[in-house]
Amino acid sequence: MKQLFNQLISFPYFFKIAQKSFPYLFLLSILVILLGVLWGVFFSPVDVTQGEVYRIIYLHVPAASVAQSIYYTMVIASITYLIWRIKMASVFMISMAPLGAIFTFLALFTGAVWGQPTWGTWWVWDARLTSTLILLILYLAIISLFSSFDRRASTDQAVSIVVLIGGINLPIIKLSVEWWNTLHQSASMTLSGSSIDNEMLIPLLISIFGFYLYVTAIGMRKMQVEILKREISHNWVKEIFIEKR
Amino acid sequence: MKSFYFKTFQRDSKVYLSRSSSFLGPIVFFLITITLYPLAFGSDEEKLAELSAGIIWISILLANLLSHQFIFNEDYKDGSLDLVLASGKSLFLWASIKIFVNWYFSSLPLIFLSLLTSFMFYLPYDAALILALTLFLGTPILSMFGALAGALTLERGNIVGSSIVIPMCLPALILGILAIQSYKNEELFFYIFLLAAFLFFSIPILIASCLGAIRLHFE
Repeated sequence: MKQLFNQLISFPYFFKIAQKSFPYLFLLSILVILLGVLWGVFFSPVDVTQGEVYRIIYLHVPAASVAQSIYYTMVIASITYLIWRIKMASVFMISMAPLGAIFTFLALFTGAVWGQPTWGTWWVWDARLTSTLILLILYLAIISLFSSFDRRASTDQAVSIVVLIGGINLPIIKLSVEWWNTLHQSASMTLSGSSIDNEMLIPLLISIFGFYLYVTAIGMRKMQVEILKREISHNWVKEIFIEKR
Repeated sequence: MKSFYFKTFQRDSKVYLSRSSSFLGPIVFFLITITLYPLAFGSDEEKLAELSAGIIWISILLANLLSHQFIFNEDYKDGSLDLVLASGKSLFLWASIKIFVNWYFSSLPLIFLSLLTSFMFYLPYDAALILALTLFLGTPILSMFGALAGALTLERGNIVGSSIVIPMCLPALILGILAIQSYKNEELFFYIFLLAAFLFFSIPILIASCLGAIRLHFE
């Protein structure tokens, strides 16, 4: 176990693994997403209250789930970096933050498209929507930190400090937004009251799984690029690319 | 005999007093901003009374952002930060004093001003006192987050800093406003205590991360 971990945090080993597994993972993720979404759109039953519109759930929920999970994994990576100075952790944070921003935006966008016909507005200042918007701002702030230092080590450390503070603060922000919200409007905006039917749940779960696979694949690819940026002058990079030729 | 920390306090105070822009800047900004609100929303008494707490809180939050780069930036530029780091003194206390002086000169005047301006916005007297109390508890949080942002971006400007500070400070803003809105109810104490808890919870974490952020410029 420990040996596996040590191998995974070494740049050359990870690079080779990612290089080999990326095409399979990527293809698999596309297939799983297609399976989940197509099943959801064409074969699952129509929602009684919302009609056909609800089918955007097969994009909305996976995107929102992925957007939040990415932040939590980044918090774990930031702790790892701050304590053990494992460079792979900072590579992970820097590669995942843009993905997190994209998926948070996707969640907000699909939510707005879904909200227009069902709630009648593109946007409500609901607790969940507001905290998702703050998550997006946080991601963007972290991304804007990338270019504000001259030395790479400073960037890594600054990003991990901000990610960690944000990780401690995010639950507090969420709670306070909920208190703020309960005072202003009733919580009428919850998703459909009844629990989801199995025939809808299964394609949804498949779609969520597909999104996670996709993020894993793209994240690995982005990490490879980040590793290449950092290690471009090292011998192992030359060896890999000369062998290829 | 004066200790190192007392001298830091004295010196920083003198620096702030000698440079009028650093402590007058936030005051002028605050006054301008709160004048803009009635001009934009109209001078309707009820509407302003409803918005007043939020207007004053937001204006102070924005005015605070102006002064954050002064906390560590000058010490970094003139090299005294190196000496302090090498001296072996308690950095935690040193950073706390610097942040306190910043708060003293940029936020405390605004808190007194907010008491005066709250009458211009027809806020009831009791609510104005609660407003001052929430600002008293909330502005140190702003200063500490600002110090963190300033410490992170010592070399560069403060543009990145403000985008980090504002989202992090949201709980302080929300709790402060909620406390003012419920100034007649029992719930008031709930929000005040939560705000105080947020303040005391953030003191050790934020100052420690400030020091971490400073050290990364000297690695």
